[in-house]
Amino acid sequence: MPADAQAAAGQFGSAATESNNGAIDSAGVIHNIGYRRYDDVRLGRAAIVRALIWHSLRSAFGIRRGAKAKIFPALLFALICLPAAVNAVALATNPHSSPIVGYDDYIPSLRTVVMLIFVAIEAPNLVSADLRNHTLPLYFARPIHRIDYPVAKLVAFVLACLAMIEIPLILLYLGIVSQQHGASQVWEQTLRLGPGLLYGAAWAVLLASIGLLLASTTGKRVFAMCAIGIPLFFSWILAHVLAQVGVQAFSAAGVGQPSALASLAGLISPFTLLGGLLRWLQGNPAIGPAYHPLQPTTIGNYGPVYGLLFAGLIVAAIAGLIVRYRKVGVA
Amino acid sequence: MISQTMPHGGGPARHAAPDVVIQTSVLTKRYGTAVTALDELTVVVGPGITGLIGANGAGKSTLIKILLGLLEPTSGTAAVFGHDCVTGGFAIRTLTGYMPEHDCLPPDVTATELVTHFGRISGLPATAARERAADSLRHVGLYEERYRQIGTYSTGMKQRVKLAQALVGDPRLLLLDEPTNGLDPAGRTAMLELIARIGTEFGISILVASHLLGEIEQICDQLVAIDAGRLLRADTISSVTQASAALLVEVDEGVDLLQAELVKRGLTPAPFQRGLLVQLAGDETYDAVRDSVADLGLPLSRMEQRRHRIEELFRTDPALADEPRADVPGSQTMGAPSAS
Repeated sequence: MPADAQAAAGQFGSAATESNNGAIDSAGVIHNIGYRRYDDVRLGRAAIVRALIWHSLRSAFGIRRGAKAKIFPALLFALICLPAAVNAVALATNPHSSPIVGYDDYIPSLRTVVMLIFVAIEAPNLVSADLRNHTLPLYFARPIHRIDYPVAKLVAFVLACLAMIEIPLILLYLGIVSQQHGASQVWEQTLRLGPGLLYGAAWAVLLASIGLLLASTTGKRVFAMCAIGIPLFFSWILAHVLAQVGVQAFSAAGVGQPSALASLAGLISPFTLLGGLLRWLQGNPAIGPAYHPLQPTTIGNYGPVYGLLFAGLIVAAIAGLIVRYRKVGVA
Repeated sequence: MISQTMPHGGGPARHAAPDVVIQTSVLTKRYGTAVTALDELTVVVGPGITGLIGANGAGKSTLIKILLGLLEPTSGTAAVFGHDCVTGGFAIRTLTGYMPEHDCLPPDVTATELVTHFGRISGLPATAARERAADSLRHVGLYEERYRQIGTYSTGMKQRVKLAQALVGDPRLLLLDEPTNGLDPAGRTAMLELIARIGTEFGISILVASHLLGEIEQICDQLVAIDAGRLLRADTISSVTQASAALLVEVDEGVDLLQAELVKRGLTPAPFQRGLLVQLAGDETYDAVRDSVADLGLPLSRMEQRRHRIEELFRTDPALADEPRADVPGSQTMGAPSAS
């Protein structure tokens, strides 16, 4: 054995003595750590995918990562919970006031901004990092199938978005319910909360699938953030502008139906698409004076188009994600 | 242990016996029409440490990826532990650990977290994954450092983490792709000893790809050499080196006289550097050389058994094997052997 190897072996030996954690016997050299076979139970594919989901979900909130990774999710979570807290305080100080925030769309502009930033920051964390660090071969060399990785990441990110959207709703509900007396009132609030949670799930699924697909296009975090943030933000702005133009034209004409432009402008952005979906589901096409600048979605008679595009976008984004990981190189 | 079948399929394909770890049959992989990474490779590998050597681009990584079921061969078959690589990739991946050639570690997690995570992805329950991660990291020689983020590690430590994550699932077979890449000589030796220990003491079969021949010679039981996707040679190290062991004899003067004398005694000495290279047939060869030198009264300055470096063994022309070449073991890459 060459001298340098002996030196290296000696180093191992002394380090083993120092760490001295049980498995090392009295001689205290590394060669005396017997290799232990693993003959116990091995988990199947489903359990492995669950482990990957749990790992990814935690990483979306920076858990078990550095302090830097926790800042943005924590800030955004605090921000999106703020209306629920304010509402609870308002109700507590004046029990007769009505809730200032609704279960349906919470505060859509706040939710839009918070979720836009959350998706733009955390979707790259979930998928771009593995691309950037070439970690994928370590996954695909293990007992999972190609499709398991994108599916696990998607489920994890949907759960992360659900946490961001639904927990504030539940806090809102608790704040309201705590000021109410009688089972019937609580039941009434519970009935209202249900559709709100469902609608929140629509947000989570759409944004998570689009966000992950865009993030999976590049391994560079900044590029991935731009690939998500820029289209989501500017399509949102564009939808507003076009809706405004459409509404102005409609007002000038003074006829009973909003122009096609005003009704269809909401299809441009996922956020206004979600707004339109809500109006369609509520049977509230927001014609004419019902228009509000922060809730711009006027859908006219095009409600089913919103529903179809919503479903189509989710299917396309998930299919795109799966195809992406079928083709991704492991070299 | 290891055997070589004819590339163009003389006999029926063998069924995987218990002593067969890897078996390929006329395995071909083409990328598009221009690049042929593997060209009708037929080889059988048994347990123990097997060196897979070839120059860069010879098809080593491609072979490993096909064995893991990550790449589909263009034609031919490959099997690991009797599982077909195309249809049984999932089963193969439960039995193998893979250490990629390139950097594959996230910088912002600790080694413990990374190896524990990949233990879970290997199918270990949470507690077992933690225990085996700690064990694996200790086996590769990482102690307190394992709680530091990988981004702060040296190249040698990163290579050890890569090995630990391959080891964590207690595989039957390790596929190591250029494990000494980027290491300094000391780190290289330490890594090779680690691999040798895993192969011998842990009882895990290992296929270790390398373009460095000196390393392979040090740690492997068997050898598979490929060039341009074709099999050059597959054999045990001892049979490869035994067949060609030679005696290097140096005298300060009278080399010609000695050569003539040795020829008279029925040996085949060949001039090599400043001395003569004599094919070693046994103890009688030593006696013959000793007697020749004594009879001629020549000043003998050196007589040593010389193992051919493996690259020489792949040369089919014996004259080429005696060409002088750089004499630094472990630092030579395989220069396109002239196998025909």
